[in-house]
Amino acid sequence: MNTNSALSRLQKNFNPESQGLQQQTMLPPPKHVRVIGLGNVLMGDDGFGPLTVERFRCEYEFGPNVEVTDLGTPGLDLAPYLYGTDLIVIADAVHSLEKPGVLCIYCEDDLLTHHAQLRLTAHDPGLAESLAHLRLAGKSPSELLIVGVVPECCDFGKGISPFVFHASSMAAEKIAGVLVERSVSCFRRQAALSPNLWWLPNHRTTGIATWFTTESAS
Amino acid sequence: MARITIDPITRIEGHLRIDVEVDDGSVQKAWASCTMWRGIENILKNRDPREGWVFAQRFCGVCTTVHAMASVRAVEDALKLEIPANAQYIRNLILIGHALHDHIVHFYHLSALDWVDITTIPRADPARAASIADGVSNWPGNSRGELEAVQNKVNGLLGSGQLGIFSNGYWGHPAMRLSPEMNLILFAHYLQALEFQRKACQVVGILGGKTPHIQNLAVGGVMNAINLNSLATMNMDRLGTLQSLFQEMIPFVQQAYFVDACLLAASYPEWFRYGRGVANYLAVSDLPVDAKATKFDLPGGVIMNGNLGSVRTIQDWHDQPIRAAVAEDLTHAWYSGDGAQQPWKGTTDPNYTNFQDGGKYTWVKAPRYDGQPMQVGPLSNVLVGYASGHPLTRKWTDAAFSQISSVNGVKVTPDALQSTMGRYLARAIRSAMLSDLALQHWQLLTDNILKGDETTYNPPQFPQHEIVGVGMHEAPRGTLSHWVVINKGVFSNYQAVVPTTWNASPRDQKGIPGPYESSLLANPVADPVKPLEVLRTVHSFDPCMACACHTLDVSGHEIAQVKVL
Repeated sequence: MNTNSALSRLQKNFNPESQGLQQQTMLPPPKHVRVIGLGNVLMGDDGFGPLTVERFRCEYEFGPNVEVTDLGTPGLDLAPYLYGTDLIVIADAVHSLEKPGVLCIYCEDDLLTHHAQLRLTAHDPGLAESLAHLRLAGKSPSELLIVGVVPECCDFGKGISPFVFHASSMAAEKIAGVLVERSVSCFRRQAALSPNLWWLPNHRTTGIATWFTTESAS
Repeated sequence: MARITIDPITRIEGHLRIDVEVDDGSVQKAWASCTMWRGIENILKNRDPREGWVFAQRFCGVCTTVHAMASVRAVEDALKLEIPANAQYIRNLILIGHALHDHIVHFYHLSALDWVDITTIPRADPARAASIADGVSNWPGNSRGELEAVQNKVNGLLGSGQLGIFSNGYWGHPAMRLSPEMNLILFAHYLQALEFQRKACQVVGILGGKTPHIQNLAVGGVMNAINLNSLATMNMDRLGTLQSLFQEMIPFVQQAYFVDACLLAASYPEWFRYGRGVANYLAVSDLPVDAKATKFDLPGGVIMNGNLGSVRTIQDWHDQPIRAAVAEDLTHAWYSGDGAQQPWKGTTDPNYTNFQDGGKYTWVKAPRYDGQPMQVGPLSNVLVGYASGHPLTRKWTDAAFSQISSVNGVKVTPDALQSTMGRYLARAIRSAMLSDLALQHWQLLTDNILKGDETTYNPPQFPQHEIVGVGMHEAPRGTLSHWVVINKGVFSNYQAVVPTTWNASPRDQKGIPGPYESSLLANPVADPVKPLEVLRTVHSFDPCMACACHTLDVSGHEIAQVKVL
């Protein structure tokens, strides 16, 4: 699958009547799905991945074949969580020329083509290497997508910036769209669960309500 | 005199820059610099000590569990709070699962390619490789068919011309000397290791409730409910699953990893002569076998000046000399202040200058023990155990020595372990020890539960006055200690003295270099443009420079460089 098709699939508003059913007739639905948040929650917008998957978990319902996990910054320890899966969707902060808060969607080929040199990059010894190892071992995921956001500030202890907080809501929706397109059952909950965002300042006294206020104000 | 800057060192966790001056084919001077700030301790100030571990386990993305454990132990130490026996065993099983995972990943995925040249694998004879492997091990993954399949995969990879992550290895380097068959055997295990990594994660996940970032800890014990008659708690079914996971992992550790480390040592015996560096060793006791933590299955101790006969054993975590001896020197680190600070009085105020050879040049502080630099890690663990006559350490160390000598006749002594190769071998010895201890601690837990003890937690009570504590853990990379000051029920100071801080330590006030820096002196460098030998010694420590930040770079910029001036 190339970038354009991945993008166009994701950029289309989800419509179960058209895209999803068409997809279903072409490929069997993935059995084992993992939705993974990457990033350090203590480093400002680097916590986008964990925030997004927590929102996804609270705002959507899905079957037991979908595992949602905040993996932090596991480096090469990512491999065991990708091992033998059918579909992986990763939420992560990404470097890009776009503006902060912009969502970018990548497929596995993007990593490979842009990252022949990845072994040398300082930030991510994990994803490309883990994938390459698993591919050689015959245990790589059948499909992998990354829902990324451009961070505004990854400084220590700063919390999430409003742009990125807003983007996490769209990102959770994208993830749901990706799953439904592949005939993985996933529905928006009637009433969202209360997310556990323990790392955000004052989360206990004010809860996510503060963040929603910030979001609407931004 | 050539100066080589390697920035960053790859195949490690985090950001490390190494500068060496090379003359006549060997290193004359070295500097280790961590290029990323991590003042993460500051976030813990004024927090409730009962939730400190939740934040502490985000210090690093790889060593999550160990920081959580050191944090609860530090608060329990300050409160003089005992935890139930079940809590000790459950914590121990998590620590063993985590350590086995970590050591396997280090040997195969983070360092094997410094020694294994995959580009020779197409020339290997799989039948011969299988017979070599059969001669030293009964690991079932060494069959001819298995090795042929791996060879085909490598042929496909090399034939495609798209080496991807493998494109930057120092292939064909004169210091790569394994036969094609040996390269094939080790690379086959490199791929098989992925499956056992997964099993280790499952152990941590079952006990910790989630992996990474376990959820079951509490100051005072663990939050695992034990009830043999309930489906929802720790019961015989779950204990059985844990036992099977360990039973599946043990043959890989003892028959593949341990044997591979011995074969590597037998093939590169000259690496027992390089990389000694700081010959002062520190390890703390770990894996307590009773509720009060008076007896331990991993011994602690201190060895100075490489003299194994001088070992001072550490009985338990109340050891007073350690508490008095540890201080962190800021002279050459990018923090305000000079000289040494006792951790309870420690500060973490950034003061960045440029990289100054004679001044400040790293974000890592310089921990000292009675004013001396110390080496920590599996090697310290094994040397302390061997020197103090610890039976399990002796069993596996002697097994390694006889395995090596059966391959090439080289007689390795405990003294020779003080080297680059010794650090690789010690990690494998420690893994074999831990794989024995896994089932022993599983048995301790099971027996205690069957006796009718279901307690896992003693609630803490916080006084209003100031108290101090230190939590110690012998982590995969070495001695970890968290130092806490609690006042009116909140942290008023928090300092983590982590294994990589000991090993990657810069020079101190007296100009004495740290373990990485001194281990590189006299290290050979055949080709300054491909400083493979420098990587071997640096990787032998298993550097982990705190994955403080993680953003994925998809713009394709090359960030790393090897700069030769």
